[in-house]
Amino acid sequence: MKNNEVIIIGGGVIGCAVAYYVAKKGINVMLIDQPKRGRATSASAGGLWPLGESIGLGCGVIFHKAMIEKGLLPADSHIPPQLPKSFLDFAIQSNEMFPSLTGAIKELSGIDFEYEETSLLFLMYDDADVAFAKTLYGNCPCGNSRIDWLTPFEVKHSEPAITHNILGALRFNGDNQVNPYALADGYREAARKLGATIITHTEVTGIKINAGRVSGVETKAGFFPSKYVVNAAGAWAAQVGEMAGVEIPVYPVRGQIIGTEAMPKILSACISTNDCYIAQKHHGEIIIGSTTEETGFNTDITPSAINSLCKGAVRAIPFLEKAKVKRVWSGLRPGTADELPILGKVKGVEGYINACGHFRTGILNSPLTGLLISEMINEDQLSFPIEPFLLSEERLQSLTNNENSNHKTSIQ
Amino acid sequence: MKNRKPIVIIGAGPAGMGAAIEAARAGASCILIDEGRFPGGQVYRKNSKEFQVKEKEMLTAEQKRGKKLHEELEEVSDKIKILTSTSVLGVWKNREVMWSSNDASGVIEAEQIIIATGAYERPVPFPGWTLPGVMTVGGVKSFIKTMFIKPGETALIAGTGPLLISTANKLHDIGVNVLAVLEAGSPSWASPDFINQWGDADFAHDIAADLLELKQNNIPILFNHTVFKINGKDEAESVTYGALNPENWKPLEDTTKTVNADLVALGFGFVPNTELTELAECKHEFYPGIGWTVIRDEWMQTSQQGIFAVGDGARISGAIIAEEEGRIAGIKAAQNCEAIQAVDAEKRSEKYFSRIHSFEKFRKHLNEVTSVKSGLLELATHKTLVCRCEEVRLSDVDKAITEGAGDLQSVKLLTRLGMGACQGKNCSPSMGMYLCEKLNKTAYQVGRINPRPPVKPVTLGALANMTITKDSHQNDSYDAINTGGYYEK
Repeated sequence: MKNNEVIIIGGGVIGCAVAYYVAKKGINVMLIDQPKRGRATSASAGGLWPLGESIGLGCGVIFHKAMIEKGLLPADSHIPPQLPKSFLDFAIQSNEMFPSLTGAIKELSGIDFEYEETSLLFLMYDDADVAFAKTLYGNCPCGNSRIDWLTPFEVKHSEPAITHNILGALRFNGDNQVNPYALADGYREAARKLGATIITHTEVTGIKINAGRVSGVETKAGFFPSKYVVNAAGAWAAQVGEMAGVEIPVYPVRGQIIGTEAMPKILSACISTNDCYIAQKHHGEIIIGSTTEETGFNTDITPSAINSLCKGAVRAIPFLEKAKVKRVWSGLRPGTADELPILGKVKGVEGYINACGHFRTGILNSPLTGLLISEMINEDQLSFPIEPFLLSEERLQSLTNNENSNHKTSIQ
Repeated sequence: MKNRKPIVIIGAGPAGMGAAIEAARAGASCILIDEGRFPGGQVYRKNSKEFQVKEKEMLTAEQKRGKKLHEELEEVSDKIKILTSTSVLGVWKNREVMWSSNDASGVIEAEQIIIATGAYERPVPFPGWTLPGVMTVGGVKSFIKTMFIKPGETALIAGTGPLLISTANKLHDIGVNVLAVLEAGSPSWASPDFINQWGDADFAHDIAADLLELKQNNIPILFNHTVFKINGKDEAESVTYGALNPENWKPLEDTTKTVNADLVALGFGFVPNTELTELAECKHEFYPGIGWTVIRDEWMQTSQQGIFAVGDGARISGAIIAEEEGRIAGIKAAQNCEAIQAVDAEKRSEKYFSRIHSFEKFRKHLNEVTSVKSGLLELATHKTLVCRCEEVRLSDVDKAITEGAGDLQSVKLLTRLGMGACQGKNCSPSMGMYLCEKLNKTAYQVGRINPRPPVKPVTLGALANMTITKDSHQNDSYDAINTGGYYEK
């Protein structure tokens, strides 16, 4: 057996991206995966919304509204918290990698992950939405050069399927979409073509450490030696971290999502409202998401979530009333209390590297995450400063003591 | 009696009707839900008024049983809320039932749930099985039964089980040229001894009468034969058939013949519809040749408290036994609601238990009637569609296996098999068996494709318009449902 330089634990979009970028550097890499119900990649809508996500659209605004309804936030706090500028910069840089990645992955793997330039529309239903939009339009950390304020007439003209009962919309240019399964498949196949070994359906049982340094991975299929271990275990990252004696403050955050039957192309943009987000995929199905719930590893779906997502979808696009639901399913996001990914090395365990905690933005942030981890292992200069995402002792402390954070409050 | 939540009975075929009759007689509040416009299910399907048979002497034994059951239900119909044209989309183990009807949906909190959702016809993939002109025998029968439609001119019938014979006769009656019946096995029910041995079972009489009629109709029956391939560009034009190895039903390729036919009626037995018991997280076990069935105690209770499973959806046994099982569950559910005492429940159910026990040996034969052997899987070529919803071919499944997929769920993740509208009902029986054979694994290792609500087609509009009912006395939410008024005088 060839000696692995790197073993990646987890075969979701992050693990596959890391495998691809590491293999691209010509490093021996093995990916070990045990598919589980509820992996976030399979319950993602595939939105690449660096602006939207950074300023609290997508799931953020839905979650925020639910918190207000539960009385957990004051009724007038209609502005979801914005993420730090470093996150937005990271997300924008990662997003900019997609156009060239499309060609590279297709050439190597033959897989088209259906990158599509859609833009993201935030619909304004009422005065509170307008006030929220005004703040975004005026104070977006990226400036408003990427944002257009659309009148109801302009929305009607470009997206005739959207309800006419709106006061306007914000268009976020550059917020696009992919097919999330195809993206993960594409990374994995491309990595394989570059020489990576992919071991699926195999459970990791331990990480072996000798004198403070990773020496390999124990699995149900035997022991595999390696110099580096990358924790890309998504919602299960805490359990994998524990195997190396590393505390990882990542917890599962359930998102329920609805898929319709395939329909003719009726939407050219992705849509975000304070009830739901909506994206029509390449095959014609429309994805409606998503809840943000802390229910442990439970992947049930619930009538009330189905009801509220359907209501939101029909409100935004009235004709969806007649569309048939094909599936409702759920995924477990790898949540962190500060909503930032956890990347890079940790003190005390040489060779252990985090690539986890991507919460709602794993698809979007997969290319830059993969690239950074590969650069770290190859001892190259990093393409993006990693400091804000390291799991320093201070960050760990603030994440684990964050009892008052919104995200530690369970809502159903 | 205390103000209790209702007993919700899902499916108004023989099992569900039996359950509703007994629960209502015992004084429990109950709701009977069915997708059809009327109660009756597949076997006791009520015809539209125009097609109803009036003369008593013209009724078959089956129709007589159905008529009696309908009458019993009608007697207690003022005590039952019957929701027709209503689908059940999901059941939760905390006994919530989600339904939809037209453009409305809702959630009922049930005191007890009796799942009586019946079985569906086992799909077997082979070249041409998705062409127009290929139907299941059940589909053919219900075409004829409800609308007197002639589904083709020249027919070949293939599969296994006595339903093939009665379908052949029905088609003959309405003027279809039936070339032959191809029975994959050489089953005991076709031997002359069968009627002697099981003469006291109505079912055996039905089979004997059907076989006699087939002979009178001059329709040949070939044992250990089946359809290998259906040929045609846009619809069935001709059929290639041949002999099977009697041991394992592997096709014997050098025995093929081709005949012209525009209708192929297929019936490879039945698969219990376990979607709802799976959603409720009841425990299941696997019967080789048949499939997954829910585990029950003698009172038809599943491993989830307050959730019963009865009829063919629990174990394939036919309409007569289904009805008895339903009655037993209806009585027990009423007792669980404290509508009657345990002693009373024992007394009421005594004769139904004794009927079921008297059929116990006979049921083993019924298992044989509805089971298949794995050699049939060799009919499919690498190009054959195995998942119709997502257009997955056998070659895609083989590729997934090569990539390491070792169970149905992993094949699903890699190929989209079972991700479509039917949620795997059409592909998982055959592909589960295929994985077992190919990987030399047990059905437990290969697992299942997990259903998710909604298990029936429903619009976003209906789900947006959802009512959650806390108890049976808030009946307003059902106003949206067309209850048909079938039993209203």
